[in-house]
Amino acid sequence: MIGKVLIANRGEIALRILRACRTMGIGAVVAYSEADREGLAAQLADEAICIGPADAKHSYLSAPAIISAAVVTGCDAIHPGYGFLSEDEGFADVVRAHDLTFIGPSADVLERFASKEATRRLMASHGLTTIPGSGMLRDEAHALEEAERIGYPVLLKPSAGGGGKGMRLVRTARELESTFKVSRSEAKAGFGDDSLYLEKYLDDNRHVEIQVAVDSFGNAIHLGDRDCSVQRRHQKIIEETPSPALSDAARRDLAERALKAVTAAGYENLGTLEFLVDGKGDAYFIEINCRVQVEHPITEMCTGIDLVAMQIKIAAGEPLGLTQADVVSRGHAIEFRILAEDPANDFRPQAGQVGAYLAPGGPGVRIDSHLYPGYEIPAYYDSLLGKLCVWAPNRSQAIARGDAALREMLVDGVTTNIELHRAILANQVFIDGKVTTNLLDRVGSAPFVAAGNR
Amino acid sequence: MPDREQSSKSDPEGLDRALQVKQDHETIALLAEDLLPALIAKLAASGLGEIEVREGGWKARLRMPITTGEARKGAGQSAESHAAHGPARVAAGHSRPDERYAVPAAEAAEPDRIAAKSPAVGVYQPRRDLAVGMRVRSGDRIGTVNVLGVNQDVVSPVDGVIGSSMAEAGEAVEYGQELVRIELPDGSAGAQTGGPESEPAGAAGSV
Repeated sequence: MIGKVLIANRGEIALRILRACRTMGIGAVVAYSEADREGLAAQLADEAICIGPADAKHSYLSAPAIISAAVVTGCDAIHPGYGFLSEDEGFADVVRAHDLTFIGPSADVLERFASKEATRRLMASHGLTTIPGSGMLRDEAHALEEAERIGYPVLLKPSAGGGGKGMRLVRTARELESTFKVSRSEAKAGFGDDSLYLEKYLDDNRHVEIQVAVDSFGNAIHLGDRDCSVQRRHQKIIEETPSPALSDAARRDLAERALKAVTAAGYENLGTLEFLVDGKGDAYFIEINCRVQVEHPITEMCTGIDLVAMQIKIAAGEPLGLTQADVVSRGHAIEFRILAEDPANDFRPQAGQVGAYLAPGGPGVRIDSHLYPGYEIPAYYDSLLGKLCVWAPNRSQAIARGDAALREMLVDGVTTNIELHRAILANQVFIDGKVTTNLLDRVGSAPFVAAGNR
Repeated sequence: MPDREQSSKSDPEGLDRALQVKQDHETIALLAEDLLPALIAKLAASGLGEIEVREGGWKARLRMPITTGEARKGAGQSAESHAAHGPARVAAGHSRPDERYAVPAAEAAEPDRIAAKSPAVGVYQPRRDLAVGMRVRSGDRIGTVNVLGVNQDVVSPVDGVIGSSMAEAGEAVEYGQELVRIELPDGSAGAQTGGPESEPAGAAGSV
C-alpha cells in the first residue's frame, strides 16, 4: 500500500496527481522549484517542499533532490508525472533502492523499452507492423545504403530522442550526406547517445495511439484509442477519442493487437502505444510511452476511469479490478492544449502575469489547469497552461461544445492559442476528421489565425 | 582643475579614489551600453533561463525576460534583485564594497535580514561549535545539510556575527530555507548588501 506520495512535477499534472491522491485518501507532498513557489499545486497541497532552483537540472531533474525530499517528508512513493524523470530507468532504479515506490513501470520494464529502435524490433516480433526502417546506423555509408533500400524520403532519428526532438526529414542521398554527421553530434549533445536510425517517411499520416494498463498479476486491458493528428512540429495540440481515422472494426482490431503485443513483451503499468496510420488505414507501430500522457483526460471522460488512480494502484501492487468487459467507451471527447504561445509570432512562448482568468463550464466540460488570476508564468518551463477537454455523445456535438467552451475561456495578460483552436475547429478538414500530422506545418498556421480573426 | 591637483597633492588617497570612481563609471558605461544589450540578445537567442558574466570586479546576471518587453537596464543600481518582481530581472553586483555605490536601503527588501540558507533538501546539522556571537567570514562553513548520505555545506553569505538559529539540528529542511541569521557589524549593512559576495546563497535562480 502507498500512504504518501511525493509529486515530483509541476503545472497542471502536479495538480492532477494531487487530485487523484486526495480522492484516494492518500497523502501527498508537492515538490517544487523556486520558480514554482506560487504554483497552484504547491499552494493547494497540504504539504509542499522546495527541492531546488528554477533550473530543472537542479530541481525536477535532480534525482538526489527529489528522493531526499521524499525521504525527509516521509513519503513512500514518488509520482514523476510526464516529462522530466518519468521514463528514466536509472531514476526508477534509485527510487527503488531507497525503498520507495516509483509510480510507473519498474526500472527493468523502462530499460527494456528505453531504446526506440529495440522496442520496434521487440514489438514487431510480437506481431505489430512497424514502419520500414533500418537498424542502428554504423556510419554514413551504412546510412546511405539503408536509405536506398527503404526508399526516400526518410526520417533520420536519434534512438534516445523523443517528441520529435532531433529528427530530420531527408529527401535525397545528398541531403543525407550533409546532415548525417550533424545529426549524430546533435544526438550526442542532446541525449548523451549518438545512435541514429532511419525510418520511411509517410507523407500524409494520422497519429493514433492505444492506451493500455497492465497490472503485476498479468491482468491487461486497453482503454481505446486517441487521435493526436493535429500537431505543430511534432507537438500535439488537439487530441480526440475515438479516432475519426479508424472504423470501429479497425479500432477494435488495433487495440487488441496492441494489448496482446505489449503484454507479451512484458510491459507493466499504464502505457501508450503510438501508431502512424496511413491513407489506407494501415497502422504502423512507432513507440511506446511508459507514463501517463498529457492527453489522458479524454480517455477518462469516455470511459469514466481515473487513469492516474489506476496507475497508482498498479504501482502499489494492487490488481486492476477490471476486465476488458468493464471498459466501455461512450461518446466523443476532445482535448485542447492551452499554450502560452503567440500563433501570430511564430508561436513564440509567452511568459508574464495572468490577469483575469475564467475557466469555461457547462455539460461535458473539464479543465485541467494550474492557472489562477494573478499567476505569474515562469519562463523556465514549457508553455502548457492547461487542457480544456469536452465530452459529448457524438463528435459533432463535441466540436460544438468545444467551440462554446473556447469562446468562454478567458486568459488575460498573456497571448495564448485559444483563438487558433477555434479556427481549427471551424476548418472543414478538421470537421471531416481528415487532419494529418503534417497539415499545420504544410499550410502554416497563418490561414487558421486569419480565419480565426474574422 | 587646480582644485583637483591641490587635493591630490595633499591627499594621495583622494587621487586613488578619483581614479577608482572614473574606472567605476567606465565600467558602468560599458555594462549599460555594450555588455548588457549584447547579453540580452544572447540570452534571448539562447533559450537559457539565466546567464552570468564576470568582468573585472563586476558581475552581471540576467534572467529571462518574462514578457516581450525590453529588459530594464538597471546596471549599477539594482544589486538587490532577488526580491524584485517585474518584467525583467537584471542584477549587477560590485565586488568592492563602496558606500557611494551601495544600494539605497529602501531598495532592499529587508536590508538587515541576512541568513545562511540551505543548499539542498535534506537534514540540517549545524557545526558543533556554532554559537551566537561567533564571528564568521563570508564562505565559512556553518553546518551541513545531509542529502541521502552526502553532506553539503551551509556557508555564511557574508562577513558577520552568528545570530539566532532558524532550524534545529536534525531538522528536515528544504532548498533555500533560512537556517541561521547572520548579523552584520554596525554601520556596514548598506555596503555589505551591495556586494555580490553578500548575496544569500540561495538567491541565485530565485524568482
